[in-house]
Amino acid sequence: MLLDFDKLGGLKPLLTVLVVVVCIFLILPIVFIAALSFGSSQWLIFPPPSWTFKWYQDLFADPRWLFSALTSLKIAGIVTVLSVVIGFLAALGLNRGSFVGRDFLRALFLTPMILPVVVLAVALYALFLKLGLAGTTIAFVIAHLLIALPFSIISIGNALDGFDRSIEEAAILCGASPWEARLRVTVPAVSHGIFAAAVFSFLASWDEVVLAIFMASPTLQTLPVKIWTTLRQDLTPVIAAASTLLIAFTILLMIVAALFRKGRKA
Amino acid sequence: MPVTLATDTVKITRERKFGYVVPALLLIVFFFIVPVTMLLLRSVLEPVPGMQNYAALLGSTTYLRVFLNTFLVAGVVTIVSIFVGYPVAWLLAIMPEKWSRIVLAIIILSMWTNLLARTYAWMVLLQRTGVINKTLMALGLIDKPLALVNNLVGVTIGMTYIMLPFVILPLMGVIRSIDPAILRAAALCGAGKLQCFLRVLLPLSLPGIVAGALMVFVMSLGYFVTPALLGGTSNMMLAELVAQFVQSLVNWGMGGAAALVLLVVTLTLYAIQLRYFNPARGK
Repeated sequence: MLLDFDKLGGLKPLLTVLVVVVCIFLILPIVFIAALSFGSSQWLIFPPPSWTFKWYQDLFADPRWLFSALTSLKIAGIVTVLSVVIGFLAALGLNRGSFVGRDFLRALFLTPMILPVVVLAVALYALFLKLGLAGTTIAFVIAHLLIALPFSIISIGNALDGFDRSIEEAAILCGASPWEARLRVTVPAVSHGIFAAAVFSFLASWDEVVLAIFMASPTLQTLPVKIWTTLRQDLTPVIAAASTLLIAFTILLMIVAALFRKGRKA
Repeated sequence: MPVTLATDTVKITRERKFGYVVPALLLIVFFFIVPVTMLLLRSVLEPVPGMQNYAALLGSTTYLRVFLNTFLVAGVVTIVSIFVGYPVAWLLAIMPEKWSRIVLAIIILSMWTNLLARTYAWMVLLQRTGVINKTLMALGLIDKPLALVNNLVGVTIGMTYIMLPFVILPLMGVIRSIDPAILRAAALCGAGKLQCFLRVLLPLSLPGIVAGALMVFVMSLGYFVTPALLGGTSNMMLAELVAQFVQSLVNWGMGGAAALVLLVVTLTLYAIQLRYFNPARGK
């Protein structure tokens, strides 16, 4: 009765109202920022006195914004490739290996995901200072790889769980070398897991703030670091413009992911 | 004969495989275990060997205030998230798919939106001249603007916004996995709505609630960005304290000590969750 939508009775309007309110709460800041990015008020008055593209012009006129976006893109790209490759190998080993300590390793590989990221950031910062790598692209990539890798191991591991490996063995029996079979049979079969791993790894790096704050130098900043340092000074509408572009990018990614899922079902 | 050959080949490919995990293992050891251990060691070695950093951290009211802020915010965020998230997850689990799809899209959009963009939005919405204060004043509910930002109220609102999806999505899965027939049976046996809820639905979803609550609490304890931007300097939380020791004060001993406290609390709660409330257990 309580789990039958049509028989909820008096609870139905009550719960529906709550869901609508929560939806508004969740969507409000996003819509609001998008609207303000086109508003003419420097002090983010709402509703805006008039509409303008000024903040977008300011955004693109400042090469530091563009440069930080490119830096983010580059780091996220490298992290995605490394995370998928290392994650695929690790998932394969964890999924099929029979070595001692396999369960322990699985837990260990996922730990960076549950640990407070600020602890990892501070610890890595100290290490990179000692190694002379602080403020380099390598430091950024390693830091982001640590938090992207768990997503790859989980996504690809789940896909491997659902893959009947006797198909791969059949390919080997038909004369393929183990790696040929893996690359030409297993990889295509778990491509949805690899795709998910790539998307999550990319986002993990692209959106990451805390590690990035500690890895950044005045000359090497990702987009979130640039937003962070600007935010600490004032609430300029230029950030609303940058945020809106990021939100648009997120929606695009969601649509691509949805289409990909649809394509797989068909 | 070919059958024997086949099992032999299969046997060979099934053995060991340790080599595959080596790249990931090297990464974790050199850039996770080593630096974190080094940081924690510094807390008992710098400036001189001993426990003086911990004595300073736990003996000062300034730092105790930080601990209190952290647990208070994490606690309130957890309670609000569960109380609001549970009914939403419940309806989401049973509503027609055409609607639940829209609600889910909204939840995922908010979850995937850049953390700084979301926090910025709340900074603007909650400020003195922001929309929320203006609306409340226009409605005549308040005379002068409420202080909603640069304090723990702002942090709590911003963090609840971030944590809600983390409660709703897993709870929806838990409630979906409950067999509606159990509730029909309870109703047939004469249980009223309240009794059905309190004695059937709630107990059946309790493991999901506790798991979700622990997860939100642990995540909130270690949060850095949102408290730093919405809380202002006088309402510091633990993660900010760690960052401040290292960045502004360059006091690695104290930074390591604060990091250890955060780490121990987090891992203890995480271990409790794994041990007692793991939804995947027994699968």
